[in-house]
Amino acid sequence: MTANRYTGLSERVDLWTILLYVLIVVAGAVSITAASYKENTANVFAFSHFYMKQLLWIGVAWVAALVVLLLDKRFYHMLAYPAYAAGLCMLLAALVLGKEVNGAKAWFEFGSFRVQPAEFVKIATALAMARVMSAYTFSINRPRDLLKVGMVICAPLMIIILQNDTGSGIVLCSFLFVLYREGLNKWLCIPVVLVATLFIASFMLSPMVLLILLIVLCTCSEAMMNGMWRSRIIYMAALALAAILLCTVMHFIAPGVLSLYGALLTVTLLSLVGVGIYADRVNLRNIFIPMGLFVGVLLFLSTTGYIFENVLRPHQQNRILSFLGVISDPRGIDYNVNQSKIAIGSGGLLGKGFLQGTQIKYGFVPERHTDFIFCTIGEDWGFVGAMTVLVLLCLLILRLMHMGELQQEPFGRIYCYCVASILLFHVLVNVGMTIGLMPVMGIPLPYISYGGSSLIAFTIMLFIAVRLDASMRRFSLKNY
Amino acid sequence: MSDSYAGHIRMRVLQGVVIAVFVVLAGRVAWLQLYDARYEEMAKANVLRHVVEYPPRGEVLDRNGEYLVQSRECYDLMVIYSEIGKRGFDTLRMCEVLGLSRKRLERELANARMRPQAPRVVANYISKEDKLRFDECNFRGFYTVYRTVRRYPNHVGGNLLGFVSEVTPNYLKYHPDYQVGDYVGLSGVESAYEPVLKGRKGVSIQEVDTHGAIKGSYMDGFFDSLPEPGQYLVSTIDSRLQLLGEELMEGKVGAAVAIEPSTGEILMMVSSPTYDPDELVGRERGNNYMKMLGNKRGPLFNRAVKAKYPPGSTFKLVQGLIGLQEGVLRPSDLHACHMGYQAGRMKMACHYHASPIDLRFAVATSCNAYFCYVFRDILDNPKYDGVREGFAAWKEYVESFGFGRKLGSDFLDEGSGYVPDADFYDRRYRGSWNSLTVLSLSIGQGELGCTPLQLANLAAIVANRGYYYIPHIVKRIEGRDSLDRRFYERHYTMVEPRHFEPIVEGMWRGVHVDGTSTSAYLEGLDVCGKTGTAQNPHGKDHSTFLSFAPRNNPRIAISVYVENGGFGASAALPIASLLEEFYLTDTIQRPELLEYVKNMNIHYPFYDR
Repeated sequence: MTANRYTGLSERVDLWTILLYVLIVVAGAVSITAASYKENTANVFAFSHFYMKQLLWIGVAWVAALVVLLLDKRFYHMLAYPAYAAGLCMLLAALVLGKEVNGAKAWFEFGSFRVQPAEFVKIATALAMARVMSAYTFSINRPRDLLKVGMVICAPLMIIILQNDTGSGIVLCSFLFVLYREGLNKWLCIPVVLVATLFIASFMLSPMVLLILLIVLCTCSEAMMNGMWRSRIIYMAALALAAILLCTVMHFIAPGVLSLYGALLTVTLLSLVGVGIYADRVNLRNIFIPMGLFVGVLLFLSTTGYIFENVLRPHQQNRILSFLGVISDPRGIDYNVNQSKIAIGSGGLLGKGFLQGTQIKYGFVPERHTDFIFCTIGEDWGFVGAMTVLVLLCLLILRLMHMGELQQEPFGRIYCYCVASILLFHVLVNVGMTIGLMPVMGIPLPYISYGGSSLIAFTIMLFIAVRLDASMRRFSLKNY
Repeated sequence: MSDSYAGHIRMRVLQGVVIAVFVVLAGRVAWLQLYDARYEEMAKANVLRHVVEYPPRGEVLDRNGEYLVQSRECYDLMVIYSEIGKRGFDTLRMCEVLGLSRKRLERELANARMRPQAPRVVANYISKEDKLRFDECNFRGFYTVYRTVRRYPNHVGGNLLGFVSEVTPNYLKYHPDYQVGDYVGLSGVESAYEPVLKGRKGVSIQEVDTHGAIKGSYMDGFFDSLPEPGQYLVSTIDSRLQLLGEELMEGKVGAAVAIEPSTGEILMMVSSPTYDPDELVGRERGNNYMKMLGNKRGPLFNRAVKAKYPPGSTFKLVQGLIGLQEGVLRPSDLHACHMGYQAGRMKMACHYHASPIDLRFAVATSCNAYFCYVFRDILDNPKYDGVREGFAAWKEYVESFGFGRKLGSDFLDEGSGYVPDADFYDRRYRGSWNSLTVLSLSIGQGELGCTPLQLANLAAIVANRGYYYIPHIVKRIEGRDSLDRRFYERHYTMVEPRHFEPIVEGMWRGVHVDGTSTSAYLEGLDVCGKTGTAQNPHGKDHSTFLSFAPRNNPRIAISVYVENGGFGASAALPIASLLEEFYLTDTIQRPELLEYVKNMNIHYPFYDR
């Protein structure tokens, strides 16, 4: 029975996923070698080199993967809450007892090894999410259940942010992806995306432009739902006219009291009363959604300044401002991103060859073996290498989503989507920051960046999905 | 079923999101790597450092193979400020090792701090010994660069050889092929043959890491080049003659130029006062240069090619030759001279001599009156329609002797002298002038201005009986078969060679029989000479002497000009004679004359006010 089960497992695991995983890990190991190789070292295989350490981590990760595969599927279902609770405890412990690295108090130190609990908490949170959302009575659009999910996400998020490791924390926001898949009302998804966009936009655009955008956006979304474009356009024109009129009149009565922005805001808010009465009369309840959205965003925007000043720390503020092009300082704040772009851009089509990348070899790119590992790939292997890695990662994510769709039980599906969303977020932010598309956040490129915690955590996370998928196949064999 | 359908739609949307994310990332990567070429340049700028290797500058030899200019190894001390260790370094030690003043070092370091990443020169002219000691000390951030500086074993030829200097910002504006830190010849031979002497800079492209440490050469040195040393020049100068010339001219203001008539090679060119060219090399250069600029006698002014002197009586040779060619004068023509020439109220004085006299004797004794007749006959020649035309013809002759224009020698700053034209006199005399008005031109006075080089060239023309080669200073350039072709062409004057013999005879008689130049006599050398004494507004007359020797197949033609030296025979003649003696016989048999010249004391009220 045992032997049968063992051989059966090797047949049932999704070999495509494992192949993609192995290829990506190998690519990572090669890149770390290129990024940390030093010429003229006496002992190339000395254990002090990053690439030798990484080889060890790969070994450990594979053993962990094997263990994960050998455990029973029900074990993960069972483990979800205890693991989640343990994860939270670890985070709190790290907050109190942990070691500070790069300003984030998010590490445990055991001798010469350091462990970042946040990496493992992602697994626990994914499992807890899957467990909560797969409960029989769970309905995603019921506020009480949604609150439960929100708490599952927010508890670790808050602690991680308290650890000053904002980057790792924000990763958990990617679970929105999963919520959408599980049927979260799109009118709740869109505002969240919108708020994030507006938060960024509020640094680049003047309040006036923001306000106009907001009015147009809300009116149009309402018109999308109910039609009647003509009256909505008349409504907007009337707002503009009234605002200008009010501003002019006030200019004569009390000059300097009311700007055009203030006038537009006043007129719009006043008009909302009329709109509310109108909605009630004609029984178009859904008008209240864009109305609520408008007011909510308005309130939120007034707090962005406060959030920016007080929640984000100066270097994070600088990174965002420099990313948005508000400040430019190639030798200071922009240095990393600038050098990273130079390294990737100088790679060309085919790259400079293994160990030949000058920007990496001579240390112009900081953190080239961890967060900026994509530079090494881009410079040494060029566009071809970078595309290969990106395609592999993309296939892995799509494969995970595919695996999730094949699951019979919501637990497996939700878990697979959680993993996919975490991976997607990591790739987007990490690669995005090396090529100047994203502000700099200290999160690693999965399976490729140097670091034991991240590699082992991502491996375990992936292989739990593979294990769930494998058990599903056994059932399907039995049933059909 | 509708639930699973909705889930399917959502899965497709999410797949779309995933693919969209990757397409955006891939597109951006493609933009960076395939389209935007700036990053490659920036990567190179990051990692490559071009290290210039300077070539040794070409050396200059004299005609006998002795070094006039040598290149000496020396080093520039460079610093990259950002690479100096955080704890600083032992400034005192460095000053001690390199012999720098601490103040200067600190000033240079303060300048270097402005651009901490860029290499900057801290000190020049560090000797090889100091450099070796410096290398042992191993100061972080400092390194030395090989350069060469000039060295002058004979200490002669200051203005002649010129000096080398670091390029100035102004020079760079007009010469984009030079870069800051390059050396360039700024006068004399150094500037005339700059392209030959400078050689080619080498460059080694090195890869540096983010800390600026050199990691190796770029592409295994594929784009590197070795410095090519400058070519050497063999100059036409005879350094021993030059040395003697400078000794003899010491204390006098003026110039002496000697030419080999058969080739146009300049054997010697002294501009006095001169300076030791070594003074314009090394750290004291700036101070010395300022001192020279402040000297009222102008040691930096190359009188030999730039000064405009009235030629005085030496110009009578030209007048005689023009008269002969124009047919207004025959060698046997006699003119009377009783202490001068008189026409109406105009009187030109002369010294006492027999009368009447012919052309040969007139040249020998330098009779003013005789050449007044000749000059008036030229200008008032009935074949010309009036004095303006006669004067134009005369001017054309004079210019064919190389006066009033640049000879085209290899000195870039050669002066052209001055020969007035008819328009000039029209302006000055408001159109009413005649041959009498300009009579002072007949004896080389008036508005005439000649450079000593032009006068030496006149001596060469007479020596050659009617032609000259453009005087030049370089005999041979390493790696080239020939010089510029203009130096190989005979330039004939407008006077036919057959007319020269009576003039030469006159010059010979002036030395050998009876005349103003008898003290230039040298046994067996057949010296021919013509003195000149030029009035001037600055004090005593200028003393000048034109000479060549021997009479047949002359080997040397010389002109000496001593400002305020008095009679031609009293200052210029002995100098020229000694130089001829030394050049032709290699010895000086007249030590008393040598003493006389060296002890000659000339007063220069104009300069020493």
